[in-house]
Amino acid sequence: MTDPAANFSNRQVAPAELPDFRRVELHKVADAFIPYSVLAQVLFWMILMLVAVAFRFVPVSPFAPDWWMVAVFGLAAIWFGGMAWLDARRRGWALREHDLIYRQGIIWRRTVIVPFARIQHVETSSGPLERAFGLMRVKCFTAGGAMSDLSVVGLDGDSARKVRQHLLEQIRDTSASEPEAGGAGSVDDD
Amino acid sequence: MSMTTDGWQRLAPLALVFLFFRSLQKFIRENLFLFVGAGAGFAFLDWLGPRELVLAGVGVLLVLVGGSVIYFRRFRFRIEDDAVRVRRGVIEKKELRVRFARIQNIQIGQPFYFRPFGLVRFSLETPGASEKEVELPGISRELAEWMRDRIAEWQRPDATELLADTATSDIAVRELYHAPTARLLLHGMASNQVWVLAGVFAYLVSQLMNRFSERIDEAEILVATLDRYDNGWIVLFVAVIAVLVLLIVLSAVIAVLRYHGFRLEDAGDRLVARHGLLDEREQTVRREKVTGLMFRQSAVGRLLDCWSLSVRQTRSGDAEEQAERGGFLVPGMSRRDMDIASRLLEGANAPGKIQPISARFRQVYWQRWSALLLAVLAAFAFNWYWGHWMTVLSALMMPLVMLVLHCRFRHWGWSRDGEMLWVRQGLLGQRIDGFRLDRVQQVRIIQSIYQRRHDLANLQLVLPQGSVTIPFMPLEAAAGLANEAVFIAETALDHRV
Repeated sequence: MTDPAANFSNRQVAPAELPDFRRVELHKVADAFIPYSVLAQVLFWMILMLVAVAFRFVPVSPFAPDWWMVAVFGLAAIWFGGMAWLDARRRGWALREHDLIYRQGIIWRRTVIVPFARIQHVETSSGPLERAFGLMRVKCFTAGGAMSDLSVVGLDGDSARKVRQHLLEQIRDTSASEPEAGGAGSVDDD
Repeated sequence: MSMTTDGWQRLAPLALVFLFFRSLQKFIRENLFLFVGAGAGFAFLDWLGPRELVLAGVGVLLVLVGGSVIYFRRFRFRIEDDAVRVRRGVIEKKELRVRFARIQNIQIGQPFYFRPFGLVRFSLETPGASEKEVELPGISRELAEWMRDRIAEWQRPDATELLADTATSDIAVRELYHAPTARLLLHGMASNQVWVLAGVFAYLVSQLMNRFSERIDEAEILVATLDRYDNGWIVLFVAVIAVLVLLIVLSAVIAVLRYHGFRLEDAGDRLVARHGLLDEREQTVRREKVTGLMFRQSAVGRLLDCWSLSVRQTRSGDAEEQAERGGFLVPGMSRRDMDIASRLLEGANAPGKIQPISARFRQVYWQRWSALLLAVLAAFAFNWYWGHWMTVLSALMMPLVMLVLHCRFRHWGWSRDGEMLWVRQGLLGQRIDGFRLDRVQQVRIIQSIYQRRHDLANLQLVLPQGSVTIPFMPLEAAAGLANEAVFIAETALDHRV
């Protein structure tokens, strides 16, 4: 068995020397994500609007929404469609040597950094609408509860598969360099 | 002595008592609020009548006893060289194999009725499990202790070749902390469960009062009785205080029963806590599986200098709820006892000076809440239908909300000490989460439009035990801490939990 401490060094690094996530140039998500994202939002609100309209015309309907309610759904479709368009144009992702960065959001801008060494499991998935646009999402699972899994949405199929493959290789590499039964918590402080 | 067997073993018959009590407790817990909720239970009782009620009670008991018997009869476990295997289930049969190397938490409990027979309840937990994964109620203490030691042996880094009869008695055990009964009483008095109990009590009383007032005018009788005294409402006030005192005493007694003789020990690579009067418990946590510490102090606890400490581990469910339900908790600590942090987690000195978040947190929320409350106030002021008291009420809300926001702001902050980060938050009480940055699983920087304009950011660190947020940090500090956390997590060797 190789000694985990043999290739180990722990030189001090000044905070200014650390790689800054803000300097990373992010890739834009796939072009097809913009129409997909707008369409998904608009469809969602339009369906609600149609249901509201339908309620007005069904004779035995228990509840007849006013026209202003129908209009609210229509406005929501325009507002959220517009936000989705702005968001999709600004979304970005990047792979560094040791981590994955994903940025999203217009009003609340959120940047997530996931070190490869913390990813437990990766999967790709795509819904019917995403498939129609040739899109795929990569889900990264880390410890910390189901709420904390990261979904990298808006990659085209090829990129998503490559990213997944790359992540799986990185996970394997970092796992191989870890000691068998843990206990390394003290090694990195030596 | 080797206890590994090829065959499947069963629980001792006395386990039936435990299984029955557990299912009864679960039944009550799941149905009590449903029953009492909105008076539906009382309406149901009226509709049933006493004879049907007794029959229904007997029916429920029979179902619970039957369920326990079937569970007991189908339950089998087998101890293998490196794992324990369990077969169980009443309707659906489940078979589960838990490797010793994965286990992060072992509990040995002994309810008083197991004591004369030398039986114990043995339970195991692995990272990410939402509840105790394996529970063996009613096995001999000898077998439980043998398994505990065997698991510890398997978890040593050099445990690849293990002999079946290895003993672990050569480990020196040091006492880290001992909670005297007086401190446990304080812990119970300061515990937030008093207010939960008070809430339940108030709800039940209001339900009963409503019920009585429907039949006879009980409420009027009460008011008439109160009127007989010169200061009737003072009597009522005294009664409320008396109930509260009673609940505080009750909570203190519960704490003493639960944590009686609390001792925390350092057993090399494990931490061991022993406590309990009616249900004696021994809880063992693998030191390497400790992902953080959490100090908590309730509002009353601040007056009594009473802290509790939770030893955090990887969880899949809601961390808060898990800590309440049988997590690894050290009760009744004083400020001085907080120094044991360094003995529990490497590099964890008691939290030092806390750096505050930006005052814009308070400013922006003050502005937003004032605008909202003013709008409500205006709406009430111009709408006489609600009367003046709603206007007065919303006017009174204003300083209260301001005070709450101020308290939140005053408490929120962080303190960095080497690779250790402490994050404090709270309203009247406080909670301080501490963890090593090499445990960080993900880093998130979140900025609203307002925060982007003022170079501020919320930093969220996802940890195996849940996530911790520091809001309204100066952007440079947040980005610096994020970069460092990522760097430390990437250069650390272990910790894929």
